[in-house]
Parts: sequence; C-alpha cells; structure tokens
Amino acid sequence: MRGLRGLLDAKPNLKVLIYAGKGGLGKTTLSAATSVKLSSMGRKTLVFSTDPQASLSDVFEQNVFGRGEVMLARDLYVMEIDADKKINDYVASIKRKIIEMYRLDKLPRDIEEYVDSAAAEPAMYESAVYDAMIDVVSEEKYDYYVFDMPPFGHGIRMIAIADVISKWVDKITELRKQAYEYGRVAASLKRQKVTYEDEILKELEYIRGRILKFRDIVMNTETTAFIMVMTPERMTILDTEKAIEMFKSLGLQLSGVVVNQVYPPELAKRPDAPQYLKRRVEEQRKYMAEIREKFGKYVLAVIPMLNREPKGIETLKTVAEELWTPTKRLEDYI
Amino acid sequence: MKFLDKFREIVEGLTVHGQSTAILKVKAQIDNLFILITMGDMLGIPILPPYYSLRLVPYVFPNIQNWKRYMLRERDFTDLVT
Repeated sequence: MRGLRGLLDAKPNLKVLIYAGKGGLGKTTLSAATSVKLSSMGRKTLVFSTDPQASLSDVFEQNVFGRGEVMLARDLYVMEIDADKKINDYVASIKRKIIEMYRLDKLPRDIEEYVDSAAAEPAMYESAVYDAMIDVVSEEKYDYYVFDMPPFGHGIRMIAIADVISKWVDKITELRKQAYEYGRVAASLKRQKVTYEDEILKELEYIRGRILKFRDIVMNTETTAFIMVMTPERMTILDTEKAIEMFKSLGLQLSGVVVNQVYPPELAKRPDAPQYLKRRVEEQRKYMAEIREKFGKYVLAVIPMLNREPKGIETLKTVAEELWTPTKRLEDYI
Repeated sequence: MKFLDKFREIVEGLTVHGQSTAILKVKAQIDNLFILITMGDMLGIPILPPYYSLRLVPYVFPNIQNWKRYMLRERDFTDLVT
C-alpha cells in the first residue's frame, strides 16, 4: 500500500482531495486526519465539509458550523458550510431582487411558490455545496483542499451534462441575442428603453462558467483525487463496486480506496482473546481478501479501529500517520 | 409639448406601428421559447440545474404570466390557420 504519500508522490500537482463514500464510514475523520497531516508539513490546508451531522465540528471538538474559514492550528483551516442557510440566503436574494427591480410590495403567489419549490428540490442542496466548493477552490488561497463530500445524488450528474449544458447555454445566448435585436429595433421604432438583455446574457455566461469550472475541478486527474472510503463489510464492498462503475460512467477517475475501521488482526491471535473478537476478525479477513482482489490496486491505506473515538487533533495524528505511510502490508490483514 | 406628443404618436401609428408590432410578436415568441428552456421546471420540464436557473427569474419575471397563459392555453385547429 502506497499510502497518501505515495499518491502525492505520483501526482505532485495534486491540490484537491475528495473523500467519497456512503455515510458513517469515516469520511469526515479521514478528511480531518488528511488535513492535519498536510498542514503539519507546513502546507496551507483547508478541510471542507457540509454535513452538519457527522461533522468536522465534532471531530475537531470545536463548533465551526456555518462560520466560514476557521483557523484551528498553524496552516490548518476548516470550513463547514451551512448549505441550508446558503440556499435560503440565495433564494431570499432572488426574491428581493424581483421586488426591487419591479418595485413590488410583495411577490405574486405563483412566483413565490415556484422559487420556494425550486429551493426545496433535492439537487439544490448538492448544487449549493458544489457551488461553495467552486468558490473556495477558485480563490486559490490554499495549497491543499480536502473535501468531505456528502453522499452523491443527482447533483454529481452535473459533470456528465456539463458539456451539454455549455452548448445549451450557447444556444440560449444566441436566442437571447436575437430577442435583443428584435427588442432593440422595436424599441427604437417606438422610442422606448430596451429591457434587461445585457444582464440576462451576463447571467447565462456566469452559469456556463460555473458549470465548466466545476467540471474542470473534478475532472482534472492531475490536480484532483477522488478517494473512496470503505469498511470490510459486505455492503460497503457492493456499494464501492457500484460507485466505481458510476465514476467510470461519469468519466471520473478513482485515485484510491482507504479501508477504515479494521480490527487489528493480531488482537485475535492472543491466547486470551475472546471468541467474539476472534470471529469478528475471522470474518473481516474474508472481506479483506475480497477487497484485495477487487480493489487491490486502489487501496492506499488500511486504518485500524482505534481504542477510542478519533477526535481532537492529537488523536487524529495517529490516524494521519497510518494514512500517510501505512505500517503494514495489505496482506497482513488477510 | 402635448400637441407634439400626440403628433408623434399619430405619425408613429401611420408609419411604423405595424412593423414594430410584427417585430414585437417575433420577440414575444423568442421570449416564450427562452422562458420554456430556462424555467421549464415551472411546467414540469427541468432543463437547467434549478440552482442556476433561479438567477434568471428576476429578468423574465414580467413575462412569466403571459408565458404561462400562452403555454397552457387550449389550442385547436384554428390555431394552425392563423
């Protein structure tokens, strides 16, 4: 296992590390540990999360939710996006804009309903998260960005349709220019003012820019690495297989797999080891063999189950070291 | 001044009114198409990611009512004639 270090050696331009996988496998812990390690080497690192449940606030034992970029230690910054608030602010700003532009007392009911229902759309949450991600990465203030991704939903499809959308925006822009011409001629004949064509074109250009930027960030294999987190269990093995398929279908490249929450096998070898633990390790061995067979070339590190919850920077350091340069071989777990 | 305005309107009506109405009709059709492909999800046709299409709502706002009426209007064969 080459560890995170091996990955960074192979890809010296790596800037963005994205931890993916389903909930509860330790994405947040591994993101935090990665950022602790990278920042300890004197590289300015931002760790970014969105999920208020399994949160970085918990892992770092400090409330950072919705507070922007918070410095936790030297070169270690953490940002936990309050996506719901971001969506609410965004929707409120759209409503305010309409009211101000047309000097209304309040929004017509159907428009209000439309805007609210669009805000409640499930892909909205994901889009807001990706949008925040585009913002921080574009600023280029950090050497490394570590993302603790929410489980993928429809939003990730945005990558697959980025090109289509881009062409689409081209077409729409063309259409807008036509409308502008007609509007301009009609207005000059009637000596009226033209409407908001320029602004519409600007917005369309902005939308296209955001979508392409997102695609560029996640598709650039030199600067971005997707790392799947899994555990030695039947279900996560199946899930990971499916995820790898999805990655392929979207044209993304998986850079590595980290196997988390693994019982140290030597525990079961001790004569006083309880039967319970022995069975558990025996079962795990079977799955580890399956993992080696199926994802062997991807496995970067195996993180053993700790004897306490991995919280606080000091405890995370032990996780980080194992992640950086694994002390065992994958075979040792089989 | 009032007289001049009236005069201007009369000249306009005699000369370019028909032309500008025709142009505005084409523009209205283009606008309808535009709202359909950006705000399509209002009628259940999602095309742009809603996170971004919301940005366009303020600009097309004045046309939305007309557009809905236009899209949801019942049509019959006489529409083909006109």
